[in-house]
Amino acid sequence: MATTTLERSFWQALPKPRARTGFWSWVTTVDHKRIGILYFWTALAFFLIGGVEALLIRLQLARPEQDLVAPDLFNQLFTMHATTMIFLAIMPLTAAFFNYFIPLLVGARDVAFPKLNALSYWMFLAGGIFLNSSWVLGGPSDAGWFGYPNYSLSEFNPGLGVDFWIIGLLLAGIGTLVSGFNFIVTILNMRAPGMSLMRMPMFAWATLVTSFLIVFSFPVITVALLLLLFDRVFGTVFFDVFSGADLTLYHHLFWVFGHPEVYIIVLPAMGIVSEVLPVFSRKPLFGYSVMVFSTMLIGFVGFGVWSHHLFTVGMGPVVNTIFSLATMIIAVPTGIKMFNWIGTLFGGRLRFTAAMLYSLGFLALFLIGGLTGVMLSAAPSNTQIHHTYFVVGHFHYVMIGGALFSLMSALHYWGPKMFGRMLDERLGKVAFWTLFVGFNLTFFPMNILGVMGMPRRIYTYSAGMGWDGLNATSTLGALIMAVSILITLYNLVTSLRNGERAPADPWDGRTLEWAIPSPAPEYNFARLPNVSSRDELWVRKHPQLAEGAAVAASAESDGPAEPIAMPGGSYMPLLVSLGLFIAGYGLLYSMPVFVGGIVLSLLGLIGWGFEGDNMRIIQPGGEQ
Amino acid sequence: MDIDRYERLWIMLSAAVLLSLFLALVYSVYALDIRLVDDAGQVDPATAAQTPPFDEPGVYQEGPGRYRVVMVARAWSFQPAEVRVPAGSDVTFQVTSLDVIHGFRVPYTTINQMLIPGQVSEFRFRFAEPGEHYLFCHEYCGVGHHTMQGRIVVETAATGAR
Repeated sequence: MATTTLERSFWQALPKPRARTGFWSWVTTVDHKRIGILYFWTALAFFLIGGVEALLIRLQLARPEQDLVAPDLFNQLFTMHATTMIFLAIMPLTAAFFNYFIPLLVGARDVAFPKLNALSYWMFLAGGIFLNSSWVLGGPSDAGWFGYPNYSLSEFNPGLGVDFWIIGLLLAGIGTLVSGFNFIVTILNMRAPGMSLMRMPMFAWATLVTSFLIVFSFPVITVALLLLLFDRVFGTVFFDVFSGADLTLYHHLFWVFGHPEVYIIVLPAMGIVSEVLPVFSRKPLFGYSVMVFSTMLIGFVGFGVWSHHLFTVGMGPVVNTIFSLATMIIAVPTGIKMFNWIGTLFGGRLRFTAAMLYSLGFLALFLIGGLTGVMLSAAPSNTQIHHTYFVVGHFHYVMIGGALFSLMSALHYWGPKMFGRMLDERLGKVAFWTLFVGFNLTFFPMNILGVMGMPRRIYTYSAGMGWDGLNATSTLGALIMAVSILITLYNLVTSLRNGERAPADPWDGRTLEWAIPSPAPEYNFARLPNVSSRDELWVRKHPQLAEGAAVAASAESDGPAEPIAMPGGSYMPLLVSLGLFIAGYGLLYSMPVFVGGIVLSLLGLIGWGFEGDNMRIIQPGGEQ
Repeated sequence: MDIDRYERLWIMLSAAVLLSLFLALVYSVYALDIRLVDDAGQVDPATAAQTPPFDEPGVYQEGPGRYRVVMVARAWSFQPAEVRVPAGSDVTFQVTSLDVIHGFRVPYTTINQMLIPGQVSEFRFRFAEPGEHYLFCHEYCGVGHHTMQGRIVVETAATGAR
């Protein structure tokens, strides 16, 4: 608190939130756990919106030559379904678990930059609301989630839909990028004493690599979107073929981002499974160090495969072959992981809880997603199925079979820690089997439809193509999936109200998050742990089972029990993102509003810089 | 370095799988003649409709059993929308788009190509058996995307163009 009296007198006049409960305490919070919970519920809401869009798409395609929705609405639906699911549902759901659990897993009291963390959330919310507000402001974009020009230029796509899409993604992208930096610094700098990099839980490793992927790939999409926005708003000609532009520039920019994005979604999923399987097998993760290096390898090679989305553009045999090979190489570290997970299960004492079932489902379904990916990666076979429903089937096996199943696993595994209540196991298992059956019914037929030639993104199809039965099956599957999601929602709502209170360590866990009460107290650890093993908590609970050097682990070596200084809330992150949110509408409707929004945002930044840290001193209770 | 026998076996097996995938790739390109499409030149999309050969789209015979199909794509049609060639002919397609990005996909063949305005796409296929093929635009191009179709009719050689 070495501020001069002058600064004190001026900046301390700024209002600082004092509320500890209720609405304002949540709006101004910088606590990583509360932000994680905000991410969770917001992403869940967007997930439901995206799910309803998916159902409408499937109902329209259930039978040939239907006109349940209008063609332009259909195009808006599949554009918004993909955008919502990727940017507003799956990524923020993983962010929810990053936020809540990374500090707990590495033994920290918060992330490195708590206010920045709040900004990440508010930017995500701003982007999500901005994007979806286009439904009532003239209709959203119908240019697909990739927004390829020149179809997405004003010439072919007048109206504000595409602008809403671009600005919404830019707003949400700021949040994601900031999050990436935040978690890199948190994981590299905030680990508990003794928590060396090679003792970190796999989920922390997955988050670290994912954060680097975010930091390197999001600037690329930002550039692509800005160029597109300039073309639309200011009349530049970056993507105007009639002025001699080369459209493949956008393709490359988009996929240099777009392919690492797949790993941004899948690596955390792999991390979650690597946490769940050991706990419910009562065995350490098999081949830990190889798992770490294959995670890095996937992240690294993931930047060298983007052109496999462009095999049919006409890049020539040499380029296609190189990108084919690079893509096949990704299958090697992925295969290693697959075998290591099986190795973890092998000989273990398996407990088939809902969380475990979802993780096992991940193994089965992600395998299919990965194998169909290898089929697509071979350029010659790619030309049989590129841009058909085979691709739709493939990436849903990765995005749902991979990402969603692991997120469901995380919800059942970590939910008790987050919410302090146990989820109902029986309902969880019913929901798992329903989702498993529904998912395969929905997406396996798509692989076959693709080989039969059904192109992607078609509004309807003729009756004589032989596609009717498979499409009807797929729609039936989608309805079953919807039932499963409803069961999970019911489980979540009722369990959080009346569920059994969660003990600190309900699953006989192995890692540090289970060493503290459920839900985690504001300061996480009353005494910062002194770590001596990869499975720190397990070794503490069962010192007789520990191997070699790990024996030294004990609670006596933990940090001192003393009063803890925790950062209090701040209005500024909300103010900064509110300003940018308003500026977004200003850019489309009125310049003065745009300037006003930017000024508001700048004021927020200045306040942020000078308001001080609003520290609170907490005396930990009687835990431990 | 001492590697466990089973581990070495697994490493060798994985390497063999990768190698065989690579060999399959080379084999399919050079022995099965599945062509990976190369850059085939540029054309200004604004004037393409007046530039040869795209000023006169159609089917041209270039020799015995060899045909050239000149085609333009625009939202939401192919021109010509129907192509007739005799069975057993080698057909070279030369296609461009006049407006946005379209696609060119004939199911159950190796024809699968994006049509990018400003770029000429050239690819060939041998239609061995008589029959009818659908031709789809598979690159999303707007409200009428699903209606953008064509037909390729492969006639029995006797009733063919000769």
